[in-house]
Amino acid sequence: MGNHGQVTPGTYHHGHHWKNAHEEFEGAKQGMWVFLVTEVLMVGALFVGYIIFRAMYPEAFHEAHKLLNPKLGLLNTFVLITSSWTMVLGVSSIQRGQVSRCLAYLMTTVGFGFVFLIVKYFEYSHKIHEGILPGGLYTYKELAMDKVPLFFSLYFMMTGVHAFHVILGMGLITWVMLRVKRGEVSKQFFTPVELVGFYWHFVDLVWIFLFPLLYLLG
Amino acid sequence: MANDHNHDSSHGHHYILPDGVAFKAFAALLVLTVITFALSFVHLGSLNYVVGMLVACVKATIVVGVFMNLRKDDPSNTVIFASGFVFLAIFVVLTSTDLLFRGNVYTNNKPIFKAIAGPSKFKKPWEPTPELVAHGKDVFSQQCVSCHGAAGEGNGPAAAALNPHPRNFTQDAGWKNGRKPSQIFKTLKEGIAGGAMASFATLPMDDRWALSHYVASIGPNILKDETADLAKIGVDPTKDSAGSDAAPSVPVEWAMKKLVQEAGAGSGKQVVPGASDSLMHYGDRLDAATFSKQKP
Repeated sequence: MGNHGQVTPGTYHHGHHWKNAHEEFEGAKQGMWVFLVTEVLMVGALFVGYIIFRAMYPEAFHEAHKLLNPKLGLLNTFVLITSSWTMVLGVSSIQRGQVSRCLAYLMTTVGFGFVFLIVKYFEYSHKIHEGILPGGLYTYKELAMDKVPLFFSLYFMMTGVHAFHVILGMGLITWVMLRVKRGEVSKQFFTPVELVGFYWHFVDLVWIFLFPLLYLLG
Repeated sequence: MANDHNHDSSHGHHYILPDGVAFKAFAALLVLTVITFALSFVHLGSLNYVVGMLVACVKATIVVGVFMNLRKDDPSNTVIFASGFVFLAIFVVLTSTDLLFRGNVYTNNKPIFKAIAGPSKFKKPWEPTPELVAHGKDVFSQQCVSCHGAAGEGNGPAAAALNPHPRNFTQDAGWKNGRKPSQIFKTLKEGIAGGAMASFATLPMDDRWALSHYVASIGPNILKDETADLAKIGVDPTKDSAGSDAAPSVPVEWAMKKLVQEAGAGSGKQVVPGASDSLMHYGDRLDAATFSKQKP
């Protein structure tokens, strides 16, 4: 590790291979953008699959999307957008050196993540109970239409991958909170907070497209 | 990396997002979410998609530009992030193009080889005889059962994978071209466009007439062809059969020799190289041709 990342409050030493702390931060941030591009392409593959199959079977997808609850989708959209906002406030707090304010905002963000997952749990359990499941597992009698199970294969895959990102994001924010608490992350060195924030905003970004595509436009 | 950008903050190198700006962005996102939701109750047809996705893009721009600060960030990061969407656009466009211009290559297995036309054994194969129906049953058990089922109920082993489902021959309902032998003969020759029913024009004509009479005999009642029905498919019932309606192009013996040569030319593999799908279908027809020749 060397002196990289060895931080005591007030005196942060950047890695020896960087000119200064600013360049180190910029380099780390650029790395995060590159990583987010790979995320765009991973999620993008699922979106392309959805677009193609929706174009092929418009009637089935239209009927299938009516089985989703748009109000719960809307609620979760509000929850994620609010959590993005509290994340932003958490980042600006640590940049100003307000440690306890930062911790409160990060805690709130994780809390919103939990609310999102709880809503998602109710949606999933309702569907599993009714037999509205992907592919061959689909047993819902009320809508026995060809290609409807395909819609739910995509629905569960896309929202599942997204929910996995939410869980991962919550874990990362918790890790960052611990580092803030220990004083490893501070006004002088806040890269982890800002970049974990990027990850969290990306999760929000994906949902911004998932919500209208799955719940509203079907 | 630019060293000297964004000194608009009192905190050294880093731009700190003012709380007021963050709140405005947050409020805008909430309003746009409500708009998206409300729009879903207004039916604008395909415009719903355009507007819905446009609003989503505006929201995404706010998240990336303000919350992730890309607008104040180094331009190289904008280029990097935008490149992700450029590749995504290529992905969408190429895949959609394939879907749009694929045509019916997968739904209509047009045979690439035409069978050899043997002289017709029957003078008037459009007239059902017990012999033709019995022969039709044999051909049916070879060519048709995998989809249409042994009893012609449309429930063969491959039926589950097909959409629309194979026709149930024991019922009166749902026939695209009709249930008369001449109409079944037409279906066998041309296939059903947009369905899984392929053209069986490569089967010898006698076999197709035999099949037509057999399939007609499975139905709830046997329908008979009138002169007008036969005229529709170009048959003059007063004259004898000319033998075949399919022009021969590749001799079966030559094709078989060619296939064996190609298979042998590979690294000792038994697999026939190239368009395996068409060749597989060709193989089916080859069997049928051989089969019909062996028949007394």
